[in-house]
This record gives sequence, structure tokens and C-alpha cells, in this order.
Amino acid sequence: MDPLLFAEDIHAGYGDIVIVHDVSLRVEPGEIVAVIGPNGSGKSTLLKSILGFVKLFQGKVSYCGEEITGVSSDRIVGLGIGYVPQVNNVFPNLTISENLDMGAYQVRGRASVKASMEEMFSLFPELALRKRSLAGNMSGGERQMLAVARALMARPRVIFLDEPLASLSPKPASIILSKLQEIKQSGVAMVIVEQDVTRVLSVSQRAYVLVNGAIAMEGNAESLFKEESAKQRYLGLHAKAVDK
Amino acid sequence: MDVNWAQVLFNSAITGSLYLLGAVGLTLTYGLSSFPNFAHAEFITLGAFLGYTIGTQLGLGLPIALVVTFFTAGLVGLLCYRGIFQPLAKRGATIIHLMVASIALSFILRYSMGAIWSWKPYYFASSWAAFDVGPLRVTGLWLWLIAIAVGLAIVMHLGLVKTRMGKAIRATSSNPDLALASGININKVILITWFVGAGLAAVAGIFRGADTQIWPLTGWDIILPIFAVTILGGIGNFYGAIASAFIIGLAENFGVVGLMALGLSTSYRLGISFVILIITLIVKPQGLAMFFRRA
Repeated sequence: MDPLLFAEDIHAGYGDIVIVHDVSLRVEPGEIVAVIGPNGSGKSTLLKSILGFVKLFQGKVSYCGEEITGVSSDRIVGLGIGYVPQVNNVFPNLTISENLDMGAYQVRGRASVKASMEEMFSLFPELALRKRSLAGNMSGGERQMLAVARALMARPRVIFLDEPLASLSPKPASIILSKLQEIKQSGVAMVIVEQDVTRVLSVSQRAYVLVNGAIAMEGNAESLFKEESAKQRYLGLHAKAVDK
Repeated sequence: MDVNWAQVLFNSAITGSLYLLGAVGLTLTYGLSSFPNFAHAEFITLGAFLGYTIGTQLGLGLPIALVVTFFTAGLVGLLCYRGIFQPLAKRGATIIHLMVASIALSFILRYSMGAIWSWKPYYFASSWAAFDVGPLRVTGLWLWLIAIAVGLAIVMHLGLVKTRMGKAIRATSSNPDLALASGININKVILITWFVGAGLAAVAGIFRGADTQIWPLTGWDIILPIFAVTILGGIGNFYGAIASAFIIGLAENFGVVGLMALGLSTSYRLGISFVILIITLIVKPQGLAMFFRRA
């Protein structure tokens, strides 16, 4: 059976500079895949190239067995692939409801949009309380919730999240992480790029370790986490810190 | 000096309405396409000429002239973006390249209109009889202008807040990449904005032409206050533009009273918006945007 999403031999970058070299990434329905690695290893670039935001020099992206290489970013959303950028991931000049409405821009029918919005409000009750206030007035954690909810409004089958825990203090980070697991239960697959290796591997099934724009390791998240060499060489974790 | 202050206020409303119609397109396209389109002045001029041809030469009157001019100039604006600025932006043109291209387009349009309609000034044939309302001297043309500007403000507000396309315009103006990631076809949003913006500029041109004269520099004559409205209101900010159009309208008309009191020529009135423009850029380059965060 075809994977849900398969990016094959990706070479991508900015201008003439190739940042991602020959990377392949596979996502199966309903699983959480972590993409980890040191700063500047090309994790975000890989994500953006799959989604059509960054130039793809070479490679092929297929979704549900159909090739979508070169399809524009707005049409990719319509196919069922969501994206939560790391920063500037809400429209600050729009209210919470309006942000959600924009997430469902390609969804036809008011009733269906309204139903999705109600689902988001029950998933994130914090948003329901302030649906008429501007997104620009929210805290970091609330913004991240809204960013995830906005991406879910299009009813995607897979979401790409770029460092969803970055710049969050431990409590909101834990809340976001548990919400992501809840979303996974509903069958939505996720690709999470993250610096916080411990947290992200704890919720992932598989992981890719990216170093200098190429895949250094890949495999089962649990075994990767336990592997001493991976921890020290790529994940920046010290054995003691993890054992605690 | 005896001043009819009620008339000064009314004149400020007329000036503000004209600048609002003229500036809406400039501020929205500036916000969405990230460059100041100097050829916006020529959309105003085109409106004046089209309005003259339809309203006076063909004798079809103001209402038909307004509608046909809006759609024709809107189409010209859309084609200018699609044919010139969009391809340039796709090739990585910076704000400077796009601005210079808009100045070139401005000259091409201006001299083309001069070649078509000639450089000799025209005047609308229909005379707008003045009448008194209390202390105010009023013409039907001015009432039309104010009514259209108020109508525009209401329709645009409802459109931006209630309709999906309006919200998409605000979303795209705030963050084009996130708009794409939300599935918004931002090219369509930008094209619609250019269409509406150029159409409204042309409507402003009809009123400016009917109130003064129609020649290839009709738009250029008021581009400075229109830029001042755009900058003071906060680039891309529709609500800021409403406020700043009327602030500059008031400043100009009260300024004229001041100039007269000082025994100076009233032709210095354009200098007033220039001073406001410079002060805004020095003191608060983001203009009034902070007061209108929903735009």
C-alpha cells in the first residue's frame, strides 16, 4: 500500500544554495514522525520544500499515491496537507474565529465550517472563551493552539508542524504536546520538526535525524532515543540528563 | 478676516472624501504587493478622462460614467498588475525595481492619455448649481462625492469583516505565506484588490476632474496628499486610511485659512500634506496603524 505521503530524494534550498541533500521521508496514516537534528541542519527547509514554499531542485513528492511535486502551497492545503509554521503562525489582525475561518478557506459550506469550528473550540476551550478577540493579543501558548487549530480547520490527513514547542515554557509545551496526541487519536498524521528532542520523541512513532541537510539516522523513535551514540552525536543529549 | 468655519469643515469633508477614494487602492495594493505604485496617479487621471468621455461627450450622465469608469479602470489596474508587476515580482524584483517600474508605467500611461485626449484641459459640461443649506454653500457634485465616500467606507468595512474574501484580503496583507498555508489563493486576492483599488481611484478622478479640470496631470496633481494619507494611515490599513484622509482634509482646509490670514498664496496647500507626510515618516513611520489593529 502507498504511504500517505512520500518525499523522495529531495534536494532543496534557497537561490542557488542547496541546503537539503537527497532526503527521503515517508509518513504513514495516523502516525507521528519526528524530524530532529542540530540547528541549521535543514529541518525547516525540508518541510517547506515538501509544502512548496522553498525551491525544490530535485526530487518527488507524492500524496496518497499521486505525485504532487510542484503543486502550489495553497492547493496542497486543499489536498489535505496542513502546515503550522514556527513563527508568525496566526493572523494577529484577525480575531480567533476569523483565523479559524481562514484555515477553512477551501472548505465549502458554512455548516461544515461551523461544525469544524465547534470541534476546535471543544479541543481548545481556551480559544472558545475569547473567540472575538484579536489573535495578536494572545499569549505564546494560546497562539500555538490557534495555529494548530487553524491548520486542522481544513480537515487535513497530515499536518507539518515546525517547532511547535519552541519559545514555550514547560507547562504550555506539555499542553500542546498532549493536544497533539489527542489529534493523532482522531487519525491525523503529523510530521513534527523539533529541537526539544526528549519531548518530541516521547510522542513519535518514527524519527529522522537530519545533520548538515542529509539524513544521519532514521528509525523507530523509541530505539533511537535509547541509542547512546545518537543521543550524544546528534541529539545533543547527555546520558545523565535523559536517565533522570 | 471673516471665516465661515462651518464651510471650512464641510470643505474638509469634501477633500477627505476625495482623498479616501483616491488612497484606498494605493494603501491596499501597497500592503499586499509591498511596493508603492506611482502609476496609481494615472488611474485617477484615467477616471477623469473616461468620466468626461462617457458623461459629457457621450452625454450619458454621472451615474453611468461612475459605473463604467469604475469597471474599465479596474480592468486596466488588474492588467497592469498581471502584465507588469506580477511577472517582475515572480522574477525576484525588489521594492525598488517595482517602484521604478511603476514610475515608468506612470509615464507611459500619462503620455498615452495625452496622445488620446490631448494635453489641453477639458471641463465637464454639466454644471453643478450651488445652493445654500444653512450657512453652507453646497453643490450636488460634492454631495455625491461625500455620499460615495461614506458608502465606500461602510461597504468596505462590511466586506473586510463579514465576507471571506475581505478576511482573506486582511489575512494576505498581514502574512502572505500563512495565507498560502491556509489555502488562500493569494494571487486572486491581490488581483481583486488591484481591480477595486484602480476602479476607486478612477472614481476619485471623475470628482477631481469635475471639480477642477481634466488633463493628463489630473491624478499627479493630488498624488502627494494621497501618499500622505497612505503613510499616515499605516500602509495597507483601510481604517487608518479613512481617519488620515479626513485628518489631511481638515489640515488642508484649516491650513488654507491660516495661509490666507498670513497673506500667503493658497497654492501652498499641497505643502501641508507634504509636511504631514515627512513628520509621520520621522516620528511614527507606521502611522495610525496602532489604533486600527483589525485592518
